[in-house]
Amino acid sequence: MREPELIARVIAGDRIAARELYDAHAPRVFRLAFRLTGDADLAREFTQDTFVRAFGQLSRFRGDAALSTWLHRITVTVVANAMRKVKRFRERETDLEAAAPLHIEGSTSDPILRQRLHQAIDALPEIYRTTLIMHDVEGYTHGEIAQVLAVAEGTCKSRLSQARAQLREALADLAPELES
Amino acid sequence: MNESELNKLNDFIEREARSYNEPPAPPLDAMWASIAAQDWTRATSDGTSGTPATRGGVRRWVMDRRFQAAAVLLIGIAMGRLSLGRHAAAPAAVASANGPLTRVASAVPDTGFAAPYQVTTSRYLGQTAALLIALPADPHRMNAAENQQFISRAGDLLTTTRLLLDSPAADNPSMRNLLEDLELVLAQVVHLRAAPSRTELDLIHQALDQREVLPRLTNAAADISAAN
Repeated sequence: MREPELIARVIAGDRIAARELYDAHAPRVFRLAFRLTGDADLAREFTQDTFVRAFGQLSRFRGDAALSTWLHRITVTVVANAMRKVKRFRERETDLEAAAPLHIEGSTSDPILRQRLHQAIDALPEIYRTTLIMHDVEGYTHGEIAQVLAVAEGTCKSRLSQARAQLREALADLAPELES
Repeated sequence: MNESELNKLNDFIEREARSYNEPPAPPLDAMWASIAAQDWTRATSDGTSGTPATRGGVRRWVMDRRFQAAAVLLIGIAMGRLSLGRHAAAPAAVASANGPLTRVASAVPDTGFAAPYQVTTSRYLGQTAALLIALPADPHRMNAAENQQFISRAGDLLTTTRLLLDSPAADNPSMRNLLEDLELVLAQVVHLRAAPSRTELDLIHQALDQREVLPRLTNAAADISAAN
């Protein structure tokens, strides 16, 4: 069955059609939620919330963009709103853990370099981090990201460029090591 | 940074960024069960406040993390007890083999208690310092929900304080004094109302100042970190 027909049936209350739509889109929504949160429980909650919202508002979906774009826009909004509370909690935890920093030996093996990169991504301003995750990590095009985030494509490119520049700056001390 | 280094760094970022928050397989059926159980028509349209499911989910997530922290503490204490038991048995064997005058190594490190306790205590001291530093002087600085969260966190730390007081970590006299003072202060915080008065907050700040709790707390945390 084609997607517009499925959508019409979901609006009419057909839960089997809803499951079909869910099966088609949930894996990517979950991936995006997980990439943004780094936590399986939260990704699961946010994926569920995305679909509950989407099914509840499906009659308002005009079809101007792809359904996947519309779903991913809901996902990013749901994650951004809920993560404010989670971040406050995590920041407190991080402050506390700073009292007993993990001791890392002088070794510069790949996992440690990777950890540095991941920490640098974590530290990016949210708009840059989301753009970088969607483009460089999840492979969305600039056009798709622009639609999901409701910004111009140029803005999206500029944010990605800023994100990469900030990562390069944060990791500049690793450059000689990578070279060798 | 020369051009070659820059290229290598760009390659590294592009290649390794893909491993950022690598997702597991999605639990499709479990998520669907939860979605299907909800009334879809009740989802809010503005996306600002979350559906009841998400609000509950985030709250549950925070609670889960607290339970995990408590579990780590209990495991730390259990490991400490086991380790202390083993160390305590060792000197007796050495003494019997080498005669009564043989000097044996101390069972505990210089800070006065075993390593698992050091990790647990260090984390606890950091958490308590962060909480007490964040204690507002102005009762209007936090809303009722934030106050409630603050008080709840103080309650968790009070439980930890009492567990530590009952552990070898409290064998060290200065640590015991500090823990006892922290118990007192945290108990005062726990008894704050959701909308505390300035007088209540002043009393807690006075207790902190008079007993020099924060400087002792940060010194103790630094000593343990240095010992590690």
